[in-house]
Amino acid sequence: MMGRLAVKQESRAALALVSPAIAVIALVAIAPMVWTLWESLHLHDLRMPWLGQPFVGLDNYAAALGDARFRGALLHTGGFVLASVSLELALGLVFALAMSRARRGRALIRVVVLLSWAVPTVVAALVWRFMFEGDSGIVPAALRAAGAIPPGFSFFVDPLAAWIPIVVADAWKMTPFVALLLLAGLESIEPALYDAARMDGAGPWRQFREITLPLLRPALLVAILFRALDAFRVFDVIYVLTGGGPGTSTEPIALYIFNTLLQHLRFGYGSALSVIVFLGTFVLALAYIRLLGRSLLEERTA
Amino acid sequence: MSGSVVSRWAAGTAVGLVALSAFPLVWMLLASLTPEARLFDSAALWRGPFVLDHYRALWSERAFWVPIRNSTVVAGTTTLFAVTIGGACAYGLARLRFRGRYALLAFVLAVSMFPQISLIAPLYLLLRAAGLINSYPGLVLPYLTFAMPLTIWLLVGYFRQLPAELEEAAAMDGASRLRTLIEITAPLAWPGIATTAILTFVYCWNEFLFALSFTLGPERHTVPVAIALFRGQYQVPWGQILAAAVVATVPVVLLVVLFQRRIVQGLTTGALKG
Amino acid sequence: MLCFPTLSCRGSGDPGRLIFSGSAVGREAEVVRSQLARWSAERGVEVEIRATPDSADQRHQLYVQWLNARSPEPDVLQLDVVWTPEFAAAGWLLPLDRFGPDLADFFPASIEANRWNGALYGLPWFVDVGMLYWRTDLLARAPATFDELAAAARDAMRSPGVRFGLVWQGARYEGLVTVFLEHLGGFGGRILDDNGAVVVDSEASVRALTWMRDAIHVDGIVPAAALTWHEEETRFAFQNGAAAMMRNWPYAHALLESADSAVAGRFAVAAMPAVRGAGEPTAALGGSQLAVNARSRRPDEAWALVEFLTAPEQMLERARVVGQLPPRPALYEQGEGLEGALGIAPEAAREIVAAAKPRPATPVYTQLSEILQIRLHRALTRQQEPRAALEDAAREMRALLERTGLAGGGRLRSHAG
Repeated sequence: MMGRLAVKQESRAALALVSPAIAVIALVAIAPMVWTLWESLHLHDLRMPWLGQPFVGLDNYAAALGDARFRGALLHTGGFVLASVSLELALGLVFALAMSRARRGRALIRVVVLLSWAVPTVVAALVWRFMFEGDSGIVPAALRAAGAIPPGFSFFVDPLAAWIPIVVADAWKMTPFVALLLLAGLESIEPALYDAARMDGAGPWRQFREITLPLLRPALLVAILFRALDAFRVFDVIYVLTGGGPGTSTEPIALYIFNTLLQHLRFGYGSALSVIVFLGTFVLALAYIRLLGRSLLEERTA
Repeated sequence: MSGSVVSRWAAGTAVGLVALSAFPLVWMLLASLTPEARLFDSAALWRGPFVLDHYRALWSERAFWVPIRNSTVVAGTTTLFAVTIGGACAYGLARLRFRGRYALLAFVLAVSMFPQISLIAPLYLLLRAAGLINSYPGLVLPYLTFAMPLTIWLLVGYFRQLPAELEEAAAMDGASRLRTLIEITAPLAWPGIATTAILTFVYCWNEFLFALSFTLGPERHTVPVAIALFRGQYQVPWGQILAAAVVATVPVVLLVVLFQRRIVQGLTTGALKG
Repeated sequence: MLCFPTLSCRGSGDPGRLIFSGSAVGREAEVVRSQLARWSAERGVEVEIRATPDSADQRHQLYVQWLNARSPEPDVLQLDVVWTPEFAAAGWLLPLDRFGPDLADFFPASIEANRWNGALYGLPWFVDVGMLYWRTDLLARAPATFDELAAAARDAMRSPGVRFGLVWQGARYEGLVTVFLEHLGGFGGRILDDNGAVVVDSEASVRALTWMRDAIHVDGIVPAAALTWHEEETRFAFQNGAAAMMRNWPYAHALLESADSAVAGRFAVAAMPAVRGAGEPTAALGGSQLAVNARSRRPDEAWALVEFLTAPEQMLERARVVGQLPPRPALYEQGEGLEGALGIAPEAAREIVAAAKPRPATPVYTQLSEILQIRLHRALTRQQEPRAALEDAAREMRALLERTGLAGGGRLRSHAG
């Protein structure tokens, strides 16, 4: 066991190692977050410096509640989270199951699947925009040939249809990642359990329901929370694919805040919106930490 | 269902997954080699002719090497800082016992979940006051927001996995902490550090929101921003955009192909319990 | 720390160079480049052109982004006529009075549009005025009143191929406000009065807006499609011979006289009509001015460049090459060189410009305009009655001015606390 001097030395050493990182994080993440809170309580319009920066209390938050465009953005974001997470989870599970069985070509599958993760979101969005574009992008061309859409139909002009390329592009990029996550989870399930079940006469579907799903639950939860957190913050893919349009019908929260800050230069109001988003993320993140945080430094018995 | 039916289904699905993942990238590559006039003629993309016009234009008309340089500098610098400072912190968290260890780790995890958009306003005002908008430091600093928690998180996992006995043996032989760190731990942790560096670099290379908010013009645009803002005189220059997209993807593709096993390990370690 | 020897830390170029930014489409680009090259050679200062998007809205957005970030570049900017108060009030432009500019030779309205809080922030570069283009083969003369216009339109629509009596820009954008402004002036109304108070809900306004709406839905002389048209769509309608009259800017003139125009040689230009005794013929004042970045590192050079570009010789050259109207009355005199350059007699052009009405010069013009655009469009698409629409618009505009401390019309009141 360590003596008290040794413990003290450890603490000093730990401090030395840890403090630069904490200092940086405090500077670039904590201080700004506190500043955002402060800003949100003031009026600060960068186009009207003569108004100064008066304290307005919770006026910005009240304005946010009454802001139809904000409510719309919340709705869009919520809908996007639901749609993309469920799609990615379902597809990801299917692919993970397939990959766990496939013995050959693992490396190839892994490479190809990682490519879509590694590609910049902007690139993915541009490629999908190209494929969905107008009349002659390959997707509308194929759909028209199949009689699924009328000629002259453009995805990007219809407020609801514009979501389709967005969800597709996001799913394309993130499903492989979800699949890999679930695959790792699948591979941690003892094969012996399946053998036992098979000997008891259970078919593949029952095995799936009674062994795979329950044991995969932690991985599934992680995947859901991870993706939900990401989807809640969606920006790149929508900015490039539709710019929030047509009008503001595909505008998510992050894009609305971006426009409020850097187009309308309303920093006070934008900060209030930022705080609201932060709180929403915080709630999600709390759940995530609960799930994971404890386990990393726990000493596990073999 | 018999085993062979299941495995046929599995194989088919796996092939489907590969095809779906690869198709848009292949399409992008083919389109980037197709003349502008035939870009929307799907059949033509497969047949050719294939030309390098768009790539040439990237060089001559667009000076595309500028965004590439910018992205490399910013991503490289951020990775360097994040891995060294974050690595030190991770080592302390993984190896040393001190009060508040768990709290610190939870804190780091929490910071990694800060929504980027919420930081735009204060970072913008901060950078503007320091005159750092549209500069390299003006991007590296915001990037550390997500790079530091990422490196700390990943490296804690790696350091924990390293057998402690070697270090303890060296300590008992009287080696100082620093010497142990350099001569024993670092070589062992090297693979983990490399993976962390790769993942951090990829995240920085692909980052869009901060780059869009804190740069003003082509001289400091990073690759994603430059491509997203390609403007044509009269119409969208798809050929050039896709060629630029290919060029933007090549470095990350290389990294993935060379280090795919490590990357998968890194990604899944980071997300699941080690 | 992160500054590599060969790369500068900041993204801005070397301070020995001036950056000029503006729209540069087609022939404009040639003229601008050659004039800049001339000045650069004379003065020994390098000038670089920074390209901006063609659309005014996008250019506005880009300027806001640069100037708000306190970028010292570009040094000289081309601003749309309604942007000057906005940018000046935000502290982004350099007041030019200290250079002692000679303002006597400019149209007073143009100069006024460049003032904010008493100081001058830009020099007019070229002006645009809304005009009524009319078919000389279908109408005996240009209509002087709105009643005459309606009658002439109905008459002309009896001719084969003429589907529209009058076309104007009715899409929900800034152009609609200029069109409305011209009808409004013709009926004797205004948007803001001399004290800066909102008077767009006056009786005259309601009459003007009702006339516009009825022209579409009751008289049928203006097509409903016009409610989605911008400048180019209206030009096509007139150019293809489908419209008897068109309200548009001077740029259309040269294009209408070109080889692919079906109406070349068969049209003329006049002022918009007015209600006798109540209003006067009103042309909306458009155009561009040149301003200097408040943070420019070479303000004196920048000013010299602005002075050069707004000098009579350069303006004449622009008029001859691009057909844009110069904001200097003296150039419209006989023998100054404008004959044949504009498509209308210089004296007629000068009269129209001199009478042109600027839009309200206020920093929140863009927001005021958006409120008005929405309401105007609602009234014109019959989603709301003109009176109600204008009252709503006026109310929102007053609230905006109150909220931003601008209700005193030009004089700023800061918020307490």
